[in-house]
Amino acid sequence: MAEEVAAGEAGTRRVPPRRPFWKRELPVGWLAFFMNTPSMIVLAAVLAYPIYYAGYLSLHQVGLAQMRRGVFPFYGFQNYLNLFEDPLFWLSLKNTIMFTVFVVTVEVVLAVAIGLLLMQASVWTSRVTRFLMLLPYAVPPIANGLIWSFIYNFKFGFLNRVLLTTGLISEPVNWAGNADTALVAVAVPYIWRTLPFAVLLVYAALQGINRDLYEAAAVDGASAWRRFWHITLPLLRPIIAVILILRTSFAFAVFEEVLAITQGGPGDATWVSAWYGYKVSFAPPFNIGMGAASAYVLALIVGLFAIVYVRLIYQRTT
Amino acid sequence: MFRPTFLGRVGLHLANLAVITFLLFPIVAVVIGSIQSEKTLQADTVAILPPEYTFDNFRIILTQGEQKGRVFEQATYLPDNIKVFYQAALNSLIVAVSVTLLTLVLGSLSAYSISRLRVRWTIWLLQVNVAARFVPIIVLMIPLYVVFRSAGMLNSLWGVVIAQTGFLLPYAILILAPYFETISHELEEAARIDGCSRFGAFLRIVLPLSTPGLSSCGAIIFIISWQDLLITMILNSRREFMTLPVIIASLVGDVHVFFNLLMAICLLALLPSVVLVMLLQKYVVQGLSAGAVKG
Repeated sequence: MAEEVAAGEAGTRRVPPRRPFWKRELPVGWLAFFMNTPSMIVLAAVLAYPIYYAGYLSLHQVGLAQMRRGVFPFYGFQNYLNLFEDPLFWLSLKNTIMFTVFVVTVEVVLAVAIGLLLMQASVWTSRVTRFLMLLPYAVPPIANGLIWSFIYNFKFGFLNRVLLTTGLISEPVNWAGNADTALVAVAVPYIWRTLPFAVLLVYAALQGINRDLYEAAAVDGASAWRRFWHITLPLLRPIIAVILILRTSFAFAVFEEVLAITQGGPGDATWVSAWYGYKVSFAPPFNIGMGAASAYVLALIVGLFAIVYVRLIYQRTT
Repeated sequence: MFRPTFLGRVGLHLANLAVITFLLFPIVAVVIGSIQSEKTLQADTVAILPPEYTFDNFRIILTQGEQKGRVFEQATYLPDNIKVFYQAALNSLIVAVSVTLLTLVLGSLSAYSISRLRVRWTIWLLQVNVAARFVPIIVLMIPLYVVFRSAGMLNSLWGVVIAQTGFLLPYAILILAPYFETISHELEEAARIDGCSRFGAFLRIVLPLSTPGLSSCGAIIFIISWQDLLITMILNSRREFMTLPVIIASLVGDVHVFFNLLMAICLLALLPSVVLVMLLQKYVVQGLSAGAVKG
C-alpha cells in the first residue's frame, strides 16, 4: 500500500481520464511513425528507389536498342570496366578534382578574409559588403553561367571590354576558349555563386567568439596577426571543417556553369564528372548503363564526404 | 573593439571595395548587356557603356514576340521558347510555391518528431537525412526519368513538384529540427496538462511559435526550387510545362540568339529571387547557418 502511494507520487504526471480508444492519445512511437510516413513515402519514391535503380541500371546493358525493346540484359560489371578503360572518364575525374581543390581552397581563404572584414562594424563599407553579400545566392545557376559566358566572350565579352578600356590588356583574351584558362573560367562563376554560403557560416562563427579572449591577448601584447593565428583560427576550425566538406561534395557535382559556359570545351578541357555522366547518357550513343555507372562512382566519392560530415555533426551534438 | 588606425581604415575600405566590385561585376554586366541592341554590342567591342540604350529586349520578351520594337524590326527568327515566357514564369511560380508549402508541411512533421519525440530511430532518421542531402542530382537524373515515366508523371507540374519536394525535404528537415529544439518545452507541457494531445500541442503551440524558423526554411526552399534546372529539364520536355531556367538553358548554343536578348531574359529570371533574398535576408541567413552546423 505504502509502495503504491510512493510510486504514485514519484510519477507526478496526472493520468488523464480514460477515453474511448479513438480519442485516446497515440503512444509516442506510433505518433512518430505517422508523422514521418508522408516524408518517408516521398523520400522513398524520389531518393531511395532511384538510387537503388541507378545501381540496377549500372549493372545492366542499357542503350537505345535495349530501351526500344524494353529489356535490359544483365551486364555484370562490364559498364564499370568500360568506364575505367575510358580515358575521358579519368580526364573528367582529374578535371573535377582540380576544379574542386581550386574552388574549395579559394572559397575557404576568401570566406575567412571576408568574414573578418564584415566584423569591422565601424567601417561603413563593411556594412555595404554585408548587405550585398547574399546577392549571388539568389542568382539561378544557369542564369549565372550565361551571364559569365557573356562576360568571357572573346569578341563581345564584358571582361575584355573593361580590361581593354582600362588598359590592363592590349589584346582581347579568349578566357573560356583557351584550354589553359577554361577550368578557372568555369571555377570563378561557381565561386561567385557559392561564396556567400561559406562567408555566412564564417561570419556567424566569428560573432560567437568571446571578445574577452582578444582583450586578454591584447593586454598580453599579442599582435593582430598572432591574435588571428592563435585565437581566431583555432576557434574557426570546426566551421572550416563543415565548409570544407559541404563545399567539396557540392563542387564535385558542378554542372550548370559547365553547360552554360564551355559545354566541356575547348576540346575536353572542362569535362567534369557530372558532365561526363550527362553526355554519356543523354547524347549519342545514349549509353545509359555506363552513364549510371559513372554517376554511381561520383555518388560513392561524395558519399565518403557525407559519412565524414555525419560523424562530425554527431560528435558536435553529443 | 580595436579601432583600426587611419592606414588600417584605408586598407579596409579598399578591401571592401574589391569585394563589392567582385559581387556586383556580373550584375553590372547583365544589366548593361540587356539594355542595348545587338548592333551596338557588335559595333564597338571595347566600349563598356553603349552609345544608346533600348528596352526593346525586354519588350519583345514581355510581349512574347508581339511587339518587336526597333531592335528586332528586321529579325525573322525568335526562339519559340521565348514566346511562352509568361507561361514559364507562371510555371516557375506554381512549382516553387507548391514545393515550398509541401516541403514545409512534410518537413515540419518529420523535424518535430526528430527533435521532440524521443524515439530511438528518429536520431537514425536525422542521419539518413543528412546523408541524403549529399546525393548529387546527376545520380538521380536517369532513374528519376524512368520512375516518373512508368508512373505517367512526365510532362506535368505535379511530377516536378513531387520530385523537387523529395530532393529538398532532407535539407528542410535539417533546418527545422534544430529550430524546434529551441521552442520552450514548458509551454508545450502546459498545453498538455490542459488536455491537449501531443499532436495538438505541435499544431497549436510549437508551429505558431516557429514562424521565424518556418520562414527561414521556406525562403531557402523557394529560392532553390526557383533556381532548379536539372529536375525540371529531365521530367518535362513539352513547352507548356517548362520553367524559366529550362527556357534559359534551351537558349544555350542557339547561334541566332545574341547576348542582348540572353542577358534580358537572365535578368528577368534572377530579379524575383534577388528581390526575395534581399527582403528576407535575415531569415535566409538564419536558415543557411541552421541547416549547416546544428544537427
